[in-house]
Order: sequence, then structure tokens, then C-alpha cells
Amino acid sequence: MDRRLAELVEELTTSGEPRLEPGRMKELKKICRSSGEHISHAYHLLVTRLNEEHAEVRFSAFQIVQELFARSHQFRTLIISNFQEFLELTVGIDLEQPLPPPKQVAQKLRKAAIKSVQDWHEKYGEAYKQLSLGYHFLKNNKKVDFQDVHARTVAERRREEEKQKRLDNIYKEKAKRAEKEMEEMSQEIADTLTEMENSFCLLMPDPFDFTVNDVELEPSKQISANEDRPASPLSSQMEINQSCFEYMDDEQPCCSKDVLSVSQCVRTDKEQLDEKREKPEQKELDGDTCSKVQSGVPALNDDDYETFVRNHGLISHKYTLDLEISTEVKVHENEDNTAIINNVMDAHKLVRNKFLPSVQSWIQLFTRAGINDDRLRCAIDLKNKLETAMKKYKEMNISFKARKRKVMKALDDDHDDDSEDDDEFVEVPEKEGYEPHIPDHLRKEYGLEPQSPPKTLVGKTSIGPAPTSSGAQLKRDEDELDPTCAAATLKLIRDKLPKLPRLCASESVATEPAALEEPDCRRKKLEEERAKAPFMPFGLDLHYWGQNQPSAGKILKFASEHRFWAPSEVEEEVENKEITEMLKTRYITFAGKFEPVKHKCRAPMPDGSLCERQDRIKCPFHGKIVPRDDSGIPINAEDRAREEKMRFEKQAAQPEWRDPEFMREVEAATGVDLGSSKSHGKEGKKKGKKKKYPNLTDLKQQANTSRSRLEKKVFNKGAVKRVVKAMNRMDQRKHEKFANQFNYALN
Amino acid sequence: MLGLLLARQAGIDDPVRLRRTTSTWRVLSLELNKDRDVERIHGTGINTLDIEPVEGRYMLSGGSDGVIVLHDLENFSGKPTYTCKALGYVGRSHPDVHKFSVETVQWYPHDTGMFTSSSFDKTLKIWDTNVLQPADVFHFEGTVYSHHMSPVATNHCLIAVGTKRPQVQLCDLKSGSCSHTLQGHRQEVLAVSWSTRHEYVLATASADSKVNLWDVRKASGCLSTLDQHNGEKSKASSEAASTAHNGRVNGLCYMNDGLHLLTIGTDDRMRLWNSFTGENTLVNYGKVCNESRKGLKFTVSCGCNQEFAFVPYGSTIAVYTVFTGEQVAVLRGHYSTVNCCVFQPNFQELYSGSKDCNILAWIPALREPVNDYVSEKSLPQQHLNPAYEDAWSSSDEG
Repeated sequence: MDRRLAELVEELTTSGEPRLEPGRMKELKKICRSSGEHISHAYHLLVTRLNEEHAEVRFSAFQIVQELFARSHQFRTLIISNFQEFLELTVGIDLEQPLPPPKQVAQKLRKAAIKSVQDWHEKYGEAYKQLSLGYHFLKNNKKVDFQDVHARTVAERRREEEKQKRLDNIYKEKAKRAEKEMEEMSQEIADTLTEMENSFCLLMPDPFDFTVNDVELEPSKQISANEDRPASPLSSQMEINQSCFEYMDDEQPCCSKDVLSVSQCVRTDKEQLDEKREKPEQKELDGDTCSKVQSGVPALNDDDYETFVRNHGLISHKYTLDLEISTEVKVHENEDNTAIINNVMDAHKLVRNKFLPSVQSWIQLFTRAGINDDRLRCAIDLKNKLETAMKKYKEMNISFKARKRKVMKALDDDHDDDSEDDDEFVEVPEKEGYEPHIPDHLRKEYGLEPQSPPKTLVGKTSIGPAPTSSGAQLKRDEDELDPTCAAATLKLIRDKLPKLPRLCASESVATEPAALEEPDCRRKKLEEERAKAPFMPFGLDLHYWGQNQPSAGKILKFASEHRFWAPSEVEEEVENKEITEMLKTRYITFAGKFEPVKHKCRAPMPDGSLCERQDRIKCPFHGKIVPRDDSGIPINAEDRAREEKMRFEKQAAQPEWRDPEFMREVEAATGVDLGSSKSHGKEGKKKGKKKKYPNLTDLKQQANTSRSRLEKKVFNKGAVKRVVKAMNRMDQRKHEKFANQFNYALN
Repeated sequence: MLGLLLARQAGIDDPVRLRRTTSTWRVLSLELNKDRDVERIHGTGINTLDIEPVEGRYMLSGGSDGVIVLHDLENFSGKPTYTCKALGYVGRSHPDVHKFSVETVQWYPHDTGMFTSSSFDKTLKIWDTNVLQPADVFHFEGTVYSHHMSPVATNHCLIAVGTKRPQVQLCDLKSGSCSHTLQGHRQEVLAVSWSTRHEYVLATASADSKVNLWDVRKASGCLSTLDQHNGEKSKASSEAASTAHNGRVNGLCYMNDGLHLLTIGTDDRMRLWNSFTGENTLVNYGKVCNESRKGLKFTVSCGCNQEFAFVPYGSTIAVYTVFTGEQVAVLRGHYSTVNCCVFQPNFQELYSGSKDCNILAWIPALREPVNDYVSEKSLPQQHLNPAYEDAWSSSDEG
């Protein structure tokens, strides 16, 4: 039963599940119930599991502890007898012994442990002294807040606070900077806004700011109610109404209002006025259906109605007048408002690209820094203003003329930069096309040669290196660079012309004299040859092509001019063959042509596949590449024999006692890893290492980050050794070089 | 037990024998008792404890925030459950509270009307217990690690003070001034202790790993320096300095008869010395974990067949038999480093103070009533407590 208990505990703790498996747990409880011995055995097993450096194992073990703790007094005594260690392992009260990874599970474990300590304390605290001591210890010393869901310890909380503080400081700093920036920029923004506003006004009078008629009316009042209308003169009022309705978007059908106001004006009766005053209000309450209002009109004053109709020459009062007012405003650009529109556009661009983003960032900063005073209000204000301006701009629907790009082509780029120089240039509309007719007297000015028939021009160039044409050509080239000259335009057109005819033309220029005389076939042949002929870089051999250099390769020796001493015989001239050759030879490296390897090694691999390497002659793993059949066996008999022999030798090389079968047996018996799987890696690897507890999170695997991989590479023993060796060699070399010098001799 | 009682009644035995046997048994059965609690006043670790020797009723505790609390240990309520109430305390708001951690408190040995306390704020204060006001204050140049008054002195009332300075100061309560200094140590003095047998003999332990014995009447120097090798090695080695430990010596305790002295050092060793000859008795206590940078207060039992030493051992208290060096028990209950423990000889109780702010009372466990019906009547029916019952649910059977 003991063994079964151990098995159960191991299975339960290595399941890696967040919940215990109920079946096994029940069995475990049953065993534990049977006797006290089993309980203490289970306690020891669980403590060893709790000591495991794996949060999942600990968590599962802790859950079992929880189950048993609630049930057995003996188990409680055992746990509480070593409650310090228990807390260390589950809550992590010891700073030097933090809970093991994985982190999430550890966090869960801590939470669960703290919660259960609290529960236990409530239930058993008075009976078990050490439990209550532990609880108080957690509460008073470790400052565990049992209400805190996150069950953070003091250190964690402090760390968080510090982080928050640091962030706050950063934000405050940033906010301060933003404030300064805002101060600097707000003036600019205000200027831009006013500018935009004024431009809008100029482009289109604001309907809400309609002061053209110098009527002292509140525009909003005028829209919402008609009370003040009688006070104003009729004519102006009509104008107002009209102008108003031209621009404004009114929710109410305007017809009724118009009718009413007119009737008022006609009658100008003070008594009626009061009634009328009520009416619009009523109408507003009722809603804005015209018919209703109008039906209400006759009901109120029936006798007036007819006169009203008659006076106005209306046949019936049952008109419904629908006015469709396009609320869309459209501003067309014309030469009158170009400047303004340009201005608006610039301002808009400025607002969109610069002000709005920065204002938004300020607001963000302020809110993040928790600043909630004038600064934030100011920023929001600015933002609103900017946004309304943007909206207005959009509503304007300015239709632009196609913008011309004002291109200023200056000869030098330097001139472009200098604003002083800009003044000297007068803007000239770009020349759009080729001007076919240029007066003769102007041709010079345009940078062209005097007009002459095109064919003579061609003829001239084809004739040969005429001195005049070369000069002219030079000049023309210069002219062509100058974009202001007609020559440039000409060149542009020439370039644009289909390439083909030009090619033909040039060819004809080059080959015309010959081509004219010789038959076609010969020409073709020549061309073919020419196509075949390789391009060669210019060299000495070409320089002296076909020339005989009698003096080449001859070395002149000067006779000794010494007074007494003279060589016995002096050959005045020595001919060096090599130098002579040098002038005539040319080295052409012939590397051959790259042919990709088509065959594969195809030697059988331990995993059953065939080697895929495509070496030319020799595979680094399987030796010389020989033809093989589909299963990787060499086709030639001698190859087969050789391979067989190799395998035999290899086996013989392995000492007998390292026979893998035997080794495995020894290992199984002794439990010591002798490296049987390593020494004969090919077979061992195939099986793969079976993980002991497949359900647990693999802690080592989690550490597989780029850093760890790099570490593996860099701190690899071999690599370190190599580096050390290289450095030693360097030192050694230095030492050898400078060992004789005092300075270096010592190190 | 019964036999002993019978022999005592018949007058066969020496009367001391029963007492000794019983108290030995009681010491061996010390455990954390759920019925005894000490009121929680301290908000920080407890550095020092002292029980007054007159009645054995009042206990002082000094905390690392300078607070001193006076506890009443006696239970007159007649119920087994008892919380040692705090009769008074010198709290943080007290005008004369120690600014820094209190390192040592000690009762005046002959009366409960006065006690002394020394602290890291470089002062030693003499307190009037009844009004909890300082009667006198001694100032020193270094932080005070430890002080001690002779429990047996009748001709002098000197307080030996070990400070950060290598000199040991002797303060005379009669004149209210430092009467003399004892020079001999090279580094700070971590523990001082008067002999329990000779009123003029003082032992001091220092961070230079030396333990010196002094006769305070002799001005020239120390009586002897304890040598852990009993002179064998130091004779051979060139340096003549004999050391008691290989690390800092931070604990001193005289046996109650004054014949032996226990020292403890940061080399994780405890040594027992013959206080007359200064000889190392070479009792092996094994490793006694000791990482304290300050003085460590440990204690010995009193009135047992074989005496026991109670030594803070990390977060536990180890109980050793003094003369054999055997570790008898380990008392677990604290959650942090134990700083001090003190033995109450009348009832064989142990009190310990720790960094986890707890003062724990270790009370002898009562015997099982089945085996011994002498004590049966006094036994509470603790098994009635529902918390002790098993709670196997019926569903677990299936």
C-alpha cells in the first residue's frame, strides 16, 4: 500500500494539471484514512514533492496537502510542526528562496497558499498555535494583505510603487516640456487660426456672422423664432430671410415661417402680433409639418384668412412649398481668390501636419501625467478650435484649379539655394513643346546652327572627322545641357522619338559608305562576325597591334666609366625575350563554364533515407560518390565490397566491451549512465529521449531564447578554447617579435 | 515520579533530588503551548529579554525600535489559557525612549524597582520601574552592544558596558559616572558578563575573537585570555595571541554555579570553559549556526540534574546538554531569526524573542493523563476541541 501511495502522489503531482484528478485523489484519501502511518508517509512524500523546483509540482502537492489538512488531525500536526518550511515552499517568504518557475503557476500557488493559510487560521488557529503564529507573521511581518487578490508581498508592492513613481516623474517632466512648448506655440496657432478664419470670411461670408446689413439681430434668434421680425424694416427683413436661407441649414420648413412673417408684416397689428408670437412657439412644439401649422392658421383667425389670401393673390392656402437648400457650399477657385485659397491651404496644411498632432500629444501627455488644470483645458480648447477650423475648411469644399508646379530650373543647384539669386530670375512659363519655326536671325540665340537642310547635316557628320563639325558638336553638347536653349528641347524630342529609326540612322551613318557598295549578304556576314567577336579590354598588345618594335625587349647596358676598373667584356645590348613577348601577349583566363552537379551521393543513411548531398566528386560523409541503385547500394561490385569492408573495420574499431547491447544491460543493472546511447549515438538518437513527466511544463525548454542559444554558442567550451588559443597565439607572436625590446620583453 | 515522591515522603532521598528530576523532565518536555501567549506590543524584532531574579514574575523585552515592554508572566486567573499582559511600556511616544534599537535590558538583581537598558543610540539608561522614567543616563562614544550587572555583587554596583570601542567601561551606579575602563581588546566588545560566583570577576567577549577574564580590582590588565587550544598551539605559533574562537565572539553565559563559562562565536561553534583555569573543556556541540552581527543572548537552565543550554539557532532554538554537548531538542516556532532567549527557573519556562516580533513562551508539556493519574485532575480536556478531530468525509470511502 505504501508503494501505491508513493505512486499516487507522484502521478498526482506530475500531472501538471491545475486540478487534481478526483479518482486518484479519492484513492489517496482512502489509503491515508486507513492508518496514521500512511498519513505520515504521505506527509513525507508530499514534503519532498513540495521541495521540487517546479511550480506545477508544488502546486499539485499543495492541493493534496489542502485536501488532507482539512481531514486529518495528524496531518495537520505534521504540517504545522514544520510550518516555516511549508510557508517558504508555498508562499515564498524567504527572499533567497523564491518560488520556482513557471511564473504564472507560482503566482497561483502563492495566492492559493495565502488564502488557505487564512482559512486554516480561521478554522484551526486557536488550536494550533504555530498556525496562528504563522498567520500573524505573514500579516504583520511580511505585510501580506489577505484581502489583496494578487497576494503581493511588500517588496513587490514597493517595486511597483517605485516604478509608478518613476513613470510619474517622467510624465511630469514631459508635461512641463509640453507646457513650455504649448506656450510658445499657442501664439502661432492663434495667428494661424485667425488667418484661416479671416480667409474663410473673405472666401465666403459667414452665415452666422452676418453683419452686412448692420441689423442688430441675434442670428440665432432669427433662426429659431420670428419674434423680433416686426421690429425691423420689411425690405431688409426679406433680404435677411432670403440671404439667410441661402446659407443656413434650417430644420424647419421655411415656407410657413415666411408666410407668417409676411402676414404679420402686412397687417402690423399689435393685437395680432401677440397671437402670432405664440404661434411660432406652438408650431415648434407641435413639430415642423407644414400642413398642420397651416391648418392651424385659418382656424385661429378665419376672417383674416381670406383677406390674407386675396391680398397676396394666392388661390389657395394649401400650398406646400418645399425648398431644397443645398447645404453644401462650394468655393471655386478663380483668379480673384487664388491668393486667399493658397493662404488657407497653407494654413490648413500647417494645422493638419503640425499643430493638431502636437496638440493631441500634449493632451495625451497631460492626461497621462494626471494634470487636470488650466493647462489641460487650454490644450483641449486649442484642439477644439483647430478641429472646427479643419471642419470648416472641409465644408468649404474648395475646388482647386490644378496646381501648377512652379519649376525653376536654374543652371546650378547652388543658385537654387540662394534666395538672392532667385530674384534675378524671372519666372518664365515652361516651354511646352518644340517650336518648329525659329526665325533665322534668332537661331543663334537659341543655340542652334544656322538652318541647313537636314540631309547635308547628316552628310556632314558621315563624311568624317571634319574639324568644323567636331567643334560644332562640342558646342551643341553644351547647348543641350542648357535647358533654356532650344537645343535642349530639340534633344528632348530626339530622345523621345522612337529609338528604332534612330538606331537605323546611326547605323546607316556608320556603315553607309560600305553598305552602299557591297551586297547585302556580305554585310550580314560582317555583322554576324561582329556579334561573335568578344569585347576585350584595351591592353599593351592592342596598343602595339601590328607594329614591329625592334627595340622592344632590349636592355642597354652602359659601359663602365670607371677609370681603372672595367668589366672584361661588356655586352652592350641584351635582348630579353620575355619583355618582347610581353608586348605581344595577352593572358586570357579560361575558367571553363560552371556545370551544376546533377548527381547525388545517395549513400544510405541511418534513418533509411539516402544522402542528398550533391558534391562533385566526394561526399564529406560517405566518401567517393559512386553510382548506386534505388536502395543506395553501389552498382559496381568492387564498390560494394569496399563499403562492406569499411563497415567491418568500423565495428572492429569499437572495443568489445562497448557492445551497445551489453552496455545497456549494465546500465540498467547499475543505474549509472555509461554513455551507451552516446557512444553509439545513431541508434540511441533514433529513439529520442523520453521525457519523464510529459505533462509538466518543461522548464529548460522555456529558457530557449535567442540569448540562451547565443550563450550556448559563445560560451561553448570549444569556442572558448579556440578564442583563448587564438589570443595566446597573438600574444606569442607579439612576444616573438618584440622580445628583444625592453618594453615588451616583460609581457 | 511516584517512587520519587514516596522516597521524598519517607525521607530516604535528598530533598533536592525530586526537584531536580522533575525540573529536568519539565525542561525536556518544553513545547510551544497554545494556552500561553505574550501580548504583542512590539512592532519590530525583539532583541533582548530579561526576567527579574527576585520573583521570576516580571519580564522585560527590548525591541529594535527602542521600545521596552514590561510583561507580567504569572497567571492568577486560574484558567489554563493566559496571555502575559504588558504592564507598561516605553513606547515610541515616550519622551525618554531609546532612539535606536535596544540591545540589552537587565533588571536590577536585588529589586524590581529598577532596571537598566542599553541601546544603539550610545546610551545606557537606568529606569525607575514604577514610573517608567529614566533615573539616570550614561552616554558613551560608541554604540552599546551589551551591558551587565553582577547578580551576586554586594560590595559594588558596577555595570560593565561593552561598546563599539575596544575598552570595556565600568559604570558605577553609586557615583553615577564611569569609574574605569578595562583595556585589552582590539575590537568592539560584543558581550560582557559578570561571574555568578565571584563578584569582581568579569568576562568580556569581543569581535577580535578573544574572551578575557578580568578582576575589576586589578587595574593592570586582564586575569587571563581564554585559549581554544589550551596553549598547545599558540606556544608553537609565533603570535602569542590566544583566541577563544575563530570568528567574532558574540555570546557569553556563565553557568549558574559560576564554575563554567559558555561562549559562542560566528565560527558556528560553542565552547565550554572552566572559569577558574580558563581551560577549554573541549565539549563538542557540533555546528551552532550563528550569523548575528551583534551580541547573541542565550541562556542555561537552572536546577536540573544536568544543565541545558538554550541557544538560538537560526529561526529555531537548539537545546544542548551542557556537559556532554548533545543536542536534545530543537524548538521550532519562530518564523525569523531568534535573537534571545531567557529561562524562568521557577517554572522551567523558556521565553524567546525573535526578529518576527514574537515573544514565544515555551511551557513544559503536561504528561498524558493515562500514564500518570497524579496530574490527571489538572489536565484540561483538550481533546474536546473540535479542531483536533479528523474530518474524513463519507464520500472518501468509496
